[in-house]
Amino acid sequence: MTIRNRWFLLFAGLISLAMVATVACGGGTSSADKTATAGAGSGGAKTPASGSPTTGGADMAPADQQKMIMQLGEPQFYDPHRSNFEQDIAVERFLFRGLYNLTDDGKGGVKVVPEMAAGDPTISGNDYTVKLKPGLKWSDGKPLVAADFVYGFQRECDGKVASPYQGLLGAGLGELKGCDELFGNKDEAQTQALTDALGVKAPDDTTLVFTLNKKVATFTTIWSLWATFPSRKDVIAQFGDKWTDPANIVVNGPFTLTEIVAKDHATLKPNPNWGGQKPALQQITIKFIDDLSAAFRAFQNNELQMTQILATDSTVAKENSSLKPQLQVIPSARISTVEVQMKDPVLGANGAADDAVKKAFNLRLALSHAIDRKTLVDAVYDGVHTPATYWLVKGLTGYQGSQAFDSKIGFDKAAAQKALVDAGYPGGAGLPAITIIYRDSPERRNEADFLVKAWKDIGINVTPQFVDSKARSAAFNSEQFQLFQGGWQLDYPDAENPLVGLFDTGGGNNHYNCSRPDVDAAFKDAASATTQEARLKAYQTVETDIVTNLCGIIPLYQDALPYMVSSKLGGVVANGTIDAGGPGTFCVECWFIKK
Amino acid sequence: MATQAAVASLPTFSAEPALGRQRGLWSDAWRRLLKNRLAMVGLFALVLITLLAFLGPHVGPFGRYAPNDQLYTPGAKQAAPGADHWFGTDQLGRDTWARVMEGTRISIEIGLGTQLVVLFLGVLVGASAALGGKFLDNLLMRATDITYAFPDLLFIILIRAVLTGRSWPVVTSPRIVIIIAISMVSWTTIARLVRGQMLALSERDYVLAARALGAPQWRIVFQHMLPNTLGPVVVAITFGIPIAIFAEAALSFIGFGVPPPAASLGTLVAIGYTTIQRNVWNVVFPAAGVAVLMLCFTFVGDGLRDALDPRTR
Amino acid sequence: MAAYTIRRILWVIPVLWAVATITFFLMHAVPGGPFTQEKSVPPAVNEALNHRYHLDKPLYQQYGLYLWDISHGDLGLSFDGDRDVSKLIRDGFFITAQLGLLGVIVAVTVGMTLGTLSALNQNGPLDYLGTIFATIGASVPNFIMGAFLVIIFAVNLGWLHVLGWGGPHHVSEIFKPSTWDYREVIIPVVAVSVLPAAYIARVTRASMLEVLHQDYIRTARAKGLAEHRVVLRHTIKNAMIPVLTVIGPLAAALVTGSFIIEQMFGIPGVGRAFVTAVGRRDYAMIMGSTLFYTVIVTFANLAVDLMYAAVDPRIRYR
Repeated sequence: MTIRNRWFLLFAGLISLAMVATVACGGGTSSADKTATAGAGSGGAKTPASGSPTTGGADMAPADQQKMIMQLGEPQFYDPHRSNFEQDIAVERFLFRGLYNLTDDGKGGVKVVPEMAAGDPTISGNDYTVKLKPGLKWSDGKPLVAADFVYGFQRECDGKVASPYQGLLGAGLGELKGCDELFGNKDEAQTQALTDALGVKAPDDTTLVFTLNKKVATFTTIWSLWATFPSRKDVIAQFGDKWTDPANIVVNGPFTLTEIVAKDHATLKPNPNWGGQKPALQQITIKFIDDLSAAFRAFQNNELQMTQILATDSTVAKENSSLKPQLQVIPSARISTVEVQMKDPVLGANGAADDAVKKAFNLRLALSHAIDRKTLVDAVYDGVHTPATYWLVKGLTGYQGSQAFDSKIGFDKAAAQKALVDAGYPGGAGLPAITIIYRDSPERRNEADFLVKAWKDIGINVTPQFVDSKARSAAFNSEQFQLFQGGWQLDYPDAENPLVGLFDTGGGNNHYNCSRPDVDAAFKDAASATTQEARLKAYQTVETDIVTNLCGIIPLYQDALPYMVSSKLGGVVANGTIDAGGPGTFCVECWFIKK
Repeated sequence: MATQAAVASLPTFSAEPALGRQRGLWSDAWRRLLKNRLAMVGLFALVLITLLAFLGPHVGPFGRYAPNDQLYTPGAKQAAPGADHWFGTDQLGRDTWARVMEGTRISIEIGLGTQLVVLFLGVLVGASAALGGKFLDNLLMRATDITYAFPDLLFIILIRAVLTGRSWPVVTSPRIVIIIAISMVSWTTIARLVRGQMLALSERDYVLAARALGAPQWRIVFQHMLPNTLGPVVVAITFGIPIAIFAEAALSFIGFGVPPPAASLGTLVAIGYTTIQRNVWNVVFPAAGVAVLMLCFTFVGDGLRDALDPRTR
Repeated sequence: MAAYTIRRILWVIPVLWAVATITFFLMHAVPGGPFTQEKSVPPAVNEALNHRYHLDKPLYQQYGLYLWDISHGDLGLSFDGDRDVSKLIRDGFFITAQLGLLGVIVAVTVGMTLGTLSALNQNGPLDYLGTIFATIGASVPNFIMGAFLVIIFAVNLGWLHVLGWGGPHHVSEIFKPSTWDYREVIIPVVAVSVLPAAYIARVTRASMLEVLHQDYIRTARAKGLAEHRVVLRHTIKNAMIPVLTVIGPLAAALVTGSFIIEQMFGIPGVGRAFVTAVGRRDYAMIMGSTLFYTVIVTFANLAVDLMYAAVDPRIRYR
């Protein structure tokens, strides 16, 4: 029922790759301080991610058995320029490819390889020239030309298409010239002129020239993402919004869409005109399933070969000798928290007298000290997640870990009681009612019950209020909450992502209204830092300050996602940084059914 | 679905009121009810369950969080039934017996609460329609028709979504949210029943006589008409309780039931179902609870119907 | 009677308008919109999306637009992927109807057989078995039945499937046996049909018993008619009347109530589509499926009333 919106998870490798590219000059990808970890138990031979065809391995089943069924939420769109959700993006990467592609580097890290492009761009000033590989074709056999890419960019930047990921090409990221202007344009008369002024041109069928506002270190990374995939002008002109229907769709990726049964499943078959590594699978059926416990049962019944499962079911899998090797727990770049409204007179007392601010801090401290995170994770999630008092996720450069903060905000009942006394509510006496907003699901109910009980034990009465995911988000955006079940999923692996805009005064995602002069100053330092070390140090200062002051967040744990991957399925290399909707989805052409 | 099932079980009351005599009717009915073995078993079981449901969490060696009021003790989760925990424990190591008893209480509260609101709304609308003149009758009956045409469970889901998480005056607890939501779709049966009964009664001799004698309208309504509509209404209400419990349980199962922290039986089934492979008992006991409650109310409802309207059997 | 029927059918129009209005404003009163999400997106994106779906207009204008569209039979496009709502509902109902129809067939067959056997074997062992089934069956909610069937027959025994619908997805395939997969049909159908079957068994038994004690049956027996002819010719035929009247509402209840089962087994019916739509604030789909169900419920009610009239001549319609 819920759509997991991992947002820019796939934004993947963006800055980190920039670092690799610029700092390390492409030499030796320092082994994976990524959020990624390869699936330990997949049992499949690691297939080199791209380029080198590895089909026809000795352990591969004959072609007529090369079929698999996987679980995924139902995509909203199959159009890469309209997609907003992880499952949309997962399927779109099966169907389409851009100029470049992100794959596993064989060490758990990420690398960019040319896909439709013949090689790296030639850069002159702010102009990036990319040559296409010769002989590229669409799935209907027509040649894939540079103009198709141009049209893709024009759609992405067209406000009427309303792509949720247009920001990828806008200021601060892709910096494609004229994209923001075209997107924000409301004057029909201007549209044509602005479209013509967009910084992408095709002087001939195999050459693309991009004009950017300024140099972008992450060019090839961004130009590998779905927002840059090409589009067929004639097909879209003919079918309009129905161009992604199986009968109409024309693709340039390894698979093509042959069937969509809304609310039930979609079927993919190999694209005969795909020029890259030939996929071994002859058919992929994507079942749209939101109920993960049912999906787990279906997996055991061989109805699925790949599915995400609930944390509580991972124990069932671990206790079963045949299921155990098929379980993959993939750490996620997300910290789950309890968020605190700092405008609240009791909990934050923003702008009030020093005394009130101090009292409010002690109350937050009591809330944090009262939570036994280890037991929470063990009890509710069977130990799948990792208890955390940090905010910069493990795997990220700049990660400080819990050791730095456990003594300050970690579980300590006595300290919690003392903080409550310091806050002026000994044993909870005189404390006004507090509510926490939670998204309603069986696991979340248990989590909320756990927290409410933990707080009650030191005398703080918190009433949980359960709403569905949209109502929860609406409450957050309108800042109508005291405590809030929250967290942050990294969009791309860089320390700035979970900080900038979240903790600076007036930041776009700072709905808990954290506002600290020290933090704002540290952000300034980071922005003006000339070295990577200085920048990271500034961000670590921010983390330390917000965590120890519990400025809007009380960290609970770092998430992980458990998946079941059939031992019959080979070629699945998990890479949490670039996977979407399942392990190894970044290279679907690598998958095969074993004998 | 709920109201339709209710209507389906009520065809015997469709045309005319069952009550010929006034005096002795209730004592007659009571005697007949006492003789109905199934109904008495149901009634007895209901009393017992209700007692347990209200006292149950305090019966036995454990509180809501067992053991020792610890929320979670490693190793204590998802335990099978045993001497320490009669019904086993759940994911957080809580005692399932206590949870099921608490859930039963909430389910009973929802069943009764819903029917109270339904009774109030239904009698109000039905009586106003019957007595309030042609215009009001038309208006109210059209409103009833429209409500009746609404797909029940869909409407409940919508109302629940609107009310959940609000801090409005009446909507103070999650239970009230679901009670309001279910009542909003279930009052039509009673309204139609009351209206039909009243219209039929107003042409009865004793009502005509009272009117001829110059008795004021309110007195006729309260002394003669309302008491005489009571029988069928009581039966309909009794059948309405398990239907409301069922509706709530079914909605809970797909995540639209009583919002937490209250956990009704349906919610417990839903939560238990997600971990059914760990511990089947967390589904078995609350599921059995729903079944037993529905069974008992159905027995009592059958008994009441037979007792109040002897012609049906 | 014909005039009454026509009047009732015309009455559907104001009912639909009322339901549409109530649903429209209720739905917009639910917190959060189709594009609400926790992480802030650039304001330009929000503006562009709201503009594309007319959500930037005042509510009364959106309402006006919606009424205008539905008065032309246009249910609009789903906010969740721009798919045609009427097609989604058609496709969904094709599945829901299969589940409902199979459920009704099973319920009627099992219920009437059990009820008849019970009545003919009054107070015998068959009767007791039948009564026990009818009693228990009537108090076990369908989702609980489904849960246990899944655990036993799918997870433990592995005979049947946990998820999906094994019927055809297109009308053309109904009679192709290869499109039917019994492993994805049995559990949902059994789950939805047990409760109505139990109810029908009860009604059939009671009605049969009543008929069996009628004078004309005694007369028939006294005249020396063979027992099976008495039962088939006279008893069952007459006993069916009350049974017929309950099948209507039960069938409607089964169709509109099966969405719990659809949700549970991931069956792509209309009910599941509605549930998903509420969660995603897919306004067009919420409206479309609610109106669709309203039509179904209204016509089912009409059919029931007409059936009552046909069965019981004492009921007159003004």
